[in-house]
Amino acid sequence: MTVPASTIEDVHPLGEHISGMVREEQGRFRIHSDIYRNPAIFALEMKRIFERSWVFVAHESMVPEPGDYSTGVIGSQPVIISRGDDGQIHVLFNRCAHRGSVVCREERGHAASFRCPYHGWMYRNDGSLIGAAQRSGYPADFDTWGLRLAAVPHVEVYRGLIFANLSAECEPLMERLAHVRRYIDAWCDRSPEGRVLLPEGTHRYEYPGNWKLQMENGVDGYHGNYVHESFANILERSGERKASDISRTRNRVGAKNYAKGLPSGDGLLEREDGMLGTFDSSVWPAYRQQLVDAYGPERMQEALTQRNIFVFPNLYLFESHIRVIRPVQVDKTYVDVYPTTLVGATDEFNSARLKEHQRFFGPASFGQPDDIEIFVCTQTGINVDAMPWMELSRGMAREKLNELGECVGHSTDENPQRAMYRRWCGLMTAQEGARA
Amino acid sequence: MTAVTNRSADLGTLERLQRYLDVKELLHLEARLLDEGRLDEWLDLFTDDALYWLPIAADGPREPSIIKDSKAGMEERVFRLTKTLAHAQNPPSRTQHDVTNIEVQETADGLVEVLCNQTVHELRPGDAFHVGLASPRVFAARCRYLIVPGERWLIREKTCRLIDREYPMYNLTFLF
Repeated sequence: MTVPASTIEDVHPLGEHISGMVREEQGRFRIHSDIYRNPAIFALEMKRIFERSWVFVAHESMVPEPGDYSTGVIGSQPVIISRGDDGQIHVLFNRCAHRGSVVCREERGHAASFRCPYHGWMYRNDGSLIGAAQRSGYPADFDTWGLRLAAVPHVEVYRGLIFANLSAECEPLMERLAHVRRYIDAWCDRSPEGRVLLPEGTHRYEYPGNWKLQMENGVDGYHGNYVHESFANILERSGERKASDISRTRNRVGAKNYAKGLPSGDGLLEREDGMLGTFDSSVWPAYRQQLVDAYGPERMQEALTQRNIFVFPNLYLFESHIRVIRPVQVDKTYVDVYPTTLVGATDEFNSARLKEHQRFFGPASFGQPDDIEIFVCTQTGINVDAMPWMELSRGMAREKLNELGECVGHSTDENPQRAMYRRWCGLMTAQEGARA
Repeated sequence: MTAVTNRSADLGTLERLQRYLDVKELLHLEARLLDEGRLDEWLDLFTDDALYWLPIAADGPREPSIIKDSKAGMEERVFRLTKTLAHAQNPPSRTQHDVTNIEVQETADGLVEVLCNQTVHELRPGDAFHVGLASPRVFAARCRYLIVPGERWLIREKTCRLIDREYPMYNLTFLF
């Protein structure tokens, strides 16, 4: 059966103009402000990016036991991520097959079945229909109509990260992650057992600005000295770092400080002298030893390299947490920050790590709210039509392609953002049915 | 709680009234110091072993909180607000803390336990056409204090459970 594509997809004239919004010329890379403020572009992003790409929907530890569920959205479509009685992960549309109501309104929970609040239709947590109320009103062949909570076409799990893809056809997840996988592996291997858990409790933000501002910023190594001056002062006050050292050594040229743009639109910020990771030094030696025992010294070094890893379009893996970007409207975004527990590390280590995390991340913390404030400042500034361009040109003259196909620049360069927007433009201008 | 209530009932009416007024004065003073930006004086209301806690979910070594400050953490927080350029507080929040529904209990170890509701009205002044500025916001929390009575009453614990604590929040960098 052919389902008509949504109208915005087919008839909106924006499609043809999108390619002009990412302008790449000799030595310069610019994007047009309209992409942060135009509701029609936002609607198209939901259709062509979020509803056609592999997107992160949940971590396995959010639904550890059969019957556990978590809800969310893919693009603008509500879904339920549940673990069936057989232990399998299901990603189901949260929409009664009868008359369209959601069947689950909690964000997290445990249920063997979901009951539609409207007419009482019941579904198992694998989506199959248990029964319609007052069944006798339907004909005998009702059961053959195939009514159920439809399953999202593609669901795959990589190292505990659950991804889903709404396209009818798409590349396997492993192909999609081919470039960024090595970094996901290193991130997981910060746990001596190669696994992280998400504890109960999430640091969640809402900001009145476009989602891509968070996308760009998480691998922006250029802003730290200016946006996070306050945090540098705090580290100086506590004696953990000297403010003068921070400004001198952070992002210093010659050190192993890189920004990377991947062909898949993913990006990395990789630094040996980042500002975080300064917590209680007494818990470190035992932890390092655990990693050496588990993986050897070289792998430990690799795992402990400070990285912010972006997986296009909605997932960040930071040292201390998983961050999920959740677009709500063109000028409204949720950001969910899930601090991770490293399985196999001691409670003492995890606790110190969480404490350090909480100092910088969270809506009342000393770091991330300052980033959010800049997103909000930008959301006002981009209304100036006389100056419509965002400059993402930094480092174009010095970036280099390495043997892995990664575009590598200095940690303050904007090559990860350029990779994101090449991907963004490719998806936004792709025709119906394009593989994403 | 029942046992505590019985203890309260044992007190004479005048004694209960006196204690209620002492608590009320302390909480109103705290609110005023916060709202007037007298943050060093606010810190002085707390014991050296104080806890200032805005939980999200459970309490535990692995469970994150919005804020879980020791006294040193509170001092760091005040330092950030008063001595550094914190963009999220530039311009700084204007607040009004309203304290209501005060219930006073005495615990077995001689501390005074206070349950109350707090509503914080907040606004960041600035250009009213700028996103995020000049928009009044309201925050509501169920609060619990543990107070050490004495010559000068001091707060050992302040816990604020925001009604929206597990939901997305925009800028909670002022003091609750």
